[in-house]
Amino acid sequence: MSKPDITLAVADPTIESAPASESPPRAPRPVNGTLIAGLGLVALFAGWALAVRFLDVPSYILPSPAAVWKALWSGLAVSPSDPLGYYLPLWGTLKNAAIGLAAGGGLGLLLGSLMAESRTIEKLLMPYAFALQSLPKVAIAPLVVIWFGFGDGSKIAIAGLLSFFPILINSFTGLRSVDPEKIDLMRSLSASRFETYRIVKLPNAAPYIFAGLDMAVVYALLGTIVAEFLGAQQGMGVVITQAQAVTDVAGVFAALVILGAFGILLHGIVRGLEQRIVHWGNRGRK
Amino acid sequence: MRATQMAPIAGLRPVAPTLIQIRNLKKTYAAGRVQALSNINLDIADGEFVCVVGPSGCGKSTLLRILAGLDDYDSGQVMLGTKTVSGPSRDVGVVFQQANLLPWLTVRENVALPLRVGGGRPDGADDVDRLLEVAGLKDFGGRYPYELSGGMQQRAGICRALVRNPRILLMDEPFGALDALTRERMNLELQRIWQSTGKTVMLITHSISEAIFLADRVIVMSARPGRVLRELTVDIPRPRSNDTIISHPDYPALAKEIRALLTGQGEE
Repeated sequence: MSKPDITLAVADPTIESAPASESPPRAPRPVNGTLIAGLGLVALFAGWALAVRFLDVPSYILPSPAAVWKALWSGLAVSPSDPLGYYLPLWGTLKNAAIGLAAGGGLGLLLGSLMAESRTIEKLLMPYAFALQSLPKVAIAPLVVIWFGFGDGSKIAIAGLLSFFPILINSFTGLRSVDPEKIDLMRSLSASRFETYRIVKLPNAAPYIFAGLDMAVVYALLGTIVAEFLGAQQGMGVVITQAQAVTDVAGVFAALVILGAFGILLHGIVRGLEQRIVHWGNRGRK
Repeated sequence: MRATQMAPIAGLRPVAPTLIQIRNLKKTYAAGRVQALSNINLDIADGEFVCVVGPSGCGKSTLLRILAGLDDYDSGQVMLGTKTVSGPSRDVGVVFQQANLLPWLTVRENVALPLRVGGGRPDGADDVDRLLEVAGLKDFGGRYPYELSGGMQQRAGICRALVRNPRILLMDEPFGALDALTRERMNLELQRIWQSTGKTVMLITHSISEAIFLADRVIVMSARPGRVLRELTVDIPRPRSNDTIISHPDYPALAKEIRALLTGQGEE
C-alpha cells in the first residue's frame, strides 16, 4: 500500500503545477515519503552515535553504531558453513519458522474453511479458537519444549501455534464475506459445494488470507526465536542468548538487525505475492 | 418504415406453446408474516419476450428467483415446460444485476464458467468464442472484468447465461446500473441476441421505456403483496429502434397506461 504513495510523491511537481487554480483551498504539498524516511534514519543513527560518544554510555548498555556494524560484519563476512557466522543459525531459524508456518497456516486454512462451511463446526471450534487466542501463547512454550524436546520439533510446534490463529480467523472471515449474488450465481449453475468453495469463496477470501499470512510470517519467526531461547543447538535465538551471556551487546544488536531485515524481507515477499495473486484487488467491486 | 409498422401483426406473432406456466403462486417471508407474492398467474410462451415492471419491493425479483430455482415458494404451481420447478435448471440462464462477474477470472473464463461447474459441459453447449464475438467481446476474452466498461461487463454476463444454451433467459434489472445511452445500446443488442437465438426471456426492469422497447408483453405488478395487475401486449414490429419506437402510435398510450398503473399505487 505504501507504493502508490511513493509514486504519487515522485510525480509531485506535475501534480503541483497543473491544478493550482482548480483547487481553491490549496492542497497540502505532497511529501516525498522515501526522502523523509531516509532522513529520519540518518538522524537516528547520527543521534545514536553522538549520544553514545558524548554521554559516555557504556558499551555493555548501548554499543555505538560502528560497534554493531563490526559485529554484524564479523558474522556476515565468513564462509556460509562457519559455525560462528550468521548463515547456519539463520538457516535453522528460517527453516523451522517456515515449516511451522506451513503447518500452522495449513491447519488454520483447513479449519477456517470447515468452520466457514459448517455452522456446526463453527459452534464447536470457535470457543477453543478464541480461548487459544486469548492465551499468551508464548507462555505455553516451556510446555511445548517438554513435549517436543530441545530439537527442531518444539521450534516448529511453537511457530505453528503462533501462525495458526491469524490464518484461521482471516480465512474464516474471508470465506464468509462472499457477496450473496455470487453464491446465487453458483447455485443457479447447480455448482457443487466444493466448486463454489474453490471458484468463488477461496479467491474471495484471498485478500483476507494474505493479511493473515502477513501477520503469521512474523509470528512464526517470533515463535521460533522464543523456543530457541528456551534451549536449542542452533538458531538466531541461540546467537542472541550466547552474545548476551558474555554481555556482547553489539552482538545482540547485530542479531536483531538481521532478524529485523528478514522480517521486512518476508513482509515484502508476502506483499509481492499478494499483488501478483490478488491482482483484481480493490478493483474487483465497482 | 411506416408500411412495415402497419403490417398485419398477427403474422409476426406465431402461436407458440406455453413454456412457463405459473398458477396460484404464493410466497411469504419471515415465517409467513410478510406476504411477497399473492396468487400469481402467468403464462409465458416459448420464444416470448416478457418484461415485468412494478414498484420496488413488489416481489418481481422474488418471482424471478423462484423461476430460477433459487427461492422456494409456499403454494401454487410453477412449471417449465412439463417439469415442475424444484431447483436450478439447465434450461434456465440467469443474468444478474450488475453483471456479477467473478473478478479473479478473465472474461472468457467467466463466460465459460457454466461449462465447468455443475456436472461439466452439457450437450448442445454454445461455443464461448462465438458468443464473445456475437456480443462484441472477441478481443476482450483475455481481459479481466475490471478492465471492461459496465456495458461490456453486462454483455459478458449475458454470454455466460447463454453458454449452456438454455431455453429461458431470466434477467433481473440487468441494465439498471448503466448510463442512459449505454442502456439504450444494450437494449438494442439484447433485442438482436434474442431475435437471433429465439430464447424465451423474462426481464425485470424499473424503466417503462425499456419494457416497451424490449417486450412482446409487459406484466405490471402491484405493490406488496405482489400480484399481476395487468398484462399489456406490445404490438410494435421488430426490429425496434430507439429512434422509431417513441414515434410509434401505440407507444404513448402504452407508456401512459403503465405509468398510471405504477403511480396509481403511490409509488414509482
